[in-house]
Amino acid sequence: MTGPRALGVVVLAVVAAAGSGAAGLAAQDSQYGIRGLGTPGRWESVRARSTGGAFGPFDAVSPLMEASLADLDHITAGAMAGASYRTVDAGGTSSALRATRFPLLALGGPVSARLVLGGGFTTYLDRSWGVTSRDSAVLRGVNQRYTDSLTSDGSVADLRLALAGRVGPRLALGGAVHLLAGSTRVTAQRRFDDTTYHVTQQIDEVRYDGFGVSGSALLTVVPGLRLAAWARSDNRLRARVGGATVAENDLPRMAGGGVRFAPSPTARFAVAAAWRSWSRAGAGAFNTWNWSAGAELGGQAPFRFGVRGGQLPFGPGTTPPTEFAVAAGLGRLFSAGHGLIDLGVERLRRQGGGLTEQVWTLLVGITIRP
Amino acid sequence: MRGRPGALLAIVLAAAGCVERVAAPGTCPAYCPSAGLTVLDTLLVTNVSKDSAYRGYVLAYQAAVMLVSDTPLVDSRAIFQFSSYGPRIAIRTNDTTTSAIPSLDSAQLRFYVTHRDTAAHNLTVRIYGLPVPIDTLTPFATVAGPFAAAPLRRVNLDSLFARAGHKDSVAGDSVQADTVNNRWLVFLRLDSSQAHYVVADTGRLAYGVRVSANRFASATLGKGDLGPQFTPFTTLDSAGTPVRRTLPVRGATVATFVFDPPPRPLDSTLAVGGVPATRSILRIALPRALRDSTQVMRATLILVPAVAARGAPADSFVIEAHTVLTDFGAKSPIAVDLTRVDTTVIHIGATDTTQIEITNLLQFWQTDTTQVTTLVLTAKPEANDLAEIRFYPSQAAGLRPAIRVTYVPRYPFGKP
Repeated sequence: MTGPRALGVVVLAVVAAAGSGAAGLAAQDSQYGIRGLGTPGRWESVRARSTGGAFGPFDAVSPLMEASLADLDHITAGAMAGASYRTVDAGGTSSALRATRFPLLALGGPVSARLVLGGGFTTYLDRSWGVTSRDSAVLRGVNQRYTDSLTSDGSVADLRLALAGRVGPRLALGGAVHLLAGSTRVTAQRRFDDTTYHVTQQIDEVRYDGFGVSGSALLTVVPGLRLAAWARSDNRLRARVGGATVAENDLPRMAGGGVRFAPSPTARFAVAAAWRSWSRAGAGAFNTWNWSAGAELGGQAPFRFGVRGGQLPFGPGTTPPTEFAVAAGLGRLFSAGHGLIDLGVERLRRQGGGLTEQVWTLLVGITIRP
Repeated sequence: MRGRPGALLAIVLAAAGCVERVAAPGTCPAYCPSAGLTVLDTLLVTNVSKDSAYRGYVLAYQAAVMLVSDTPLVDSRAIFQFSSYGPRIAIRTNDTTTSAIPSLDSAQLRFYVTHRDTAAHNLTVRIYGLPVPIDTLTPFATVAGPFAAAPLRRVNLDSLFARAGHKDSVAGDSVQADTVNNRWLVFLRLDSSQAHYVVADTGRLAYGVRVSANRFASATLGKGDLGPQFTPFTTLDSAGTPVRRTLPVRGATVATFVFDPPPRPLDSTLAVGGVPATRSILRIALPRALRDSTQVMRATLILVPAVAARGAPADSFVIEAHTVLTDFGAKSPIAVDLTRVDTTVIHIGATDTTQIEITNLLQFWQTDTTQVTTLVLTAKPEANDLAEIRFYPSQAAGLRPAIRVTYVPRYPFGKP
């Protein structure tokens, strides 16, 4: 297969994988997000995700930082798709869930000798979930059993417009504005065992909006050693139904940084950490710390691996749920370096508040540099 | 990249893309939305008003059956008239030569018993000859005289059915049981005196049927396609040669029933059923909040009988609650769409509170708020039963119609 044909096959594959997942733009769901604003997205490409997220601050396709865009010397586009297989254990019940998502599209390129413009979207909050529950209520003097089914399908996307530039041979700075927009289709249904009571089902669409700004810096301390720092502030998430505002929740401020060490052209190591003030979002929300460490070995076809851990922002207890993941992946250049395909797999475990989630996630990403 | 791995990758990714299952059993309240569905139940006591009853929607001759009964409450008799067949008839079917009809040798009367009280034994039918003509408005008094005479035939249908083959070969009577539709087809033989041919009437004949049993007799006889039929047998003169001939089967041109006493006059109560058919109209003032902002899961119309439902013991009947297309009072056209109708069964003698589930109706009114919230109570089908029930109207404080509604307010969409 020639280079262009291979590129075509991969593009078709990505489109098929993303398009057949009806939920479309979203990240990885979690039961922990049901009572909160949702499950925060991972602002990482497949390459960064395969290293546990440690390469996120240094990866130009990952929308975590803007300063890394300064490394782009050509127009570059990237996209990814992921399929997750999740097992939820709670209260002695185990459920197997599946989802396919299309969580990232990024585009960037130089607009002048010093400036690089970037844009795209990623998932800010995933709000796709469904719960069914059994309960009873006394109606007209009789105890009636019923089944409730509540589902939400949708997400909040982070639409980013970023600008980055080099202010010297060692320092790159970047900034971005973020428009948060999205919607969920919410369905609430109750079905009584006694069919004298008709099934009730209510469906509506909730629209969300918000705004944020971010800034970042990338410093090359010595050749092979880079430091990254970033900060971001989002104002609030407004929920509207039929044009009326039904909820407003403050969004977190966040900051993070990382170190990348490249002792040779074929060996790169990185660590990263981030803090987010999710407790601003309301009751049941916690500030979170997350960390990651990973490596990328190889040149034309690098092998990546990494670990990450940290906290989740929403949970029922007095302490935040925690998560830990290991990841690995491969990359392959094709079409004389004009294209890069990345494959990744991640094993994730979340626990806390009497619930445990274990997730296998298969990732595929494509980066094109015409 | 080689072609084969690329194609394989495409297939794997396409397969991976075809998965979506996000619903899991809820571990509530920890892992369920903080806001759930709320179910409320309320009794609308004073929301039914401007109610009244009207009679005359379906008259006896318009009913789908002929009611025959002999109970302390009512004496109902079927009357029907067969069409004439002229003074002459072809001697043979393949010959145009005709002959005058001198008389009938005999005849077979056939009718369906479409419903009967199986608890009443020795169901006996009595056939009476009636003077012609009769019509659809013939009153009870007009035919009271002929019914007071000796019957032409008296046949115990239970005894006839108990015979071998359900036949009485001597009398020429028989019964065929239709177990699928739970009805009897009765054949009775009439001799020349019971089926006489009157030249002046060109063969037109009318009969009446009464029933009796060891207890309250009650039955219905079929009409229309299941109506009475009359098959005459005669002997014609063909140039001095007698020719036995079966004349064409005659159907009933008039088939109705008369009863005594006439129905009680309407009063302030809400009457439903009987003959002529009576309907009650109720106007419901639905609270705006309930109509516009909730989902009705169950709605029950509660009616308190003013008197026990009257009728033959076996005559449990169904009453329906209909919406109307528009409110023209007694002439309001009712919606016959099954999605806008709710029913309940009324048992004779019962004085218990009657409850009719009218969820369909309230849901319909919610979907189209321009519709008038008027409902009509009718028997199903109308005039197929002499039974009638009367409910307390809205003027009767404490006993007035009420509606119990179980509903779900709007789900708080958008709340975390």
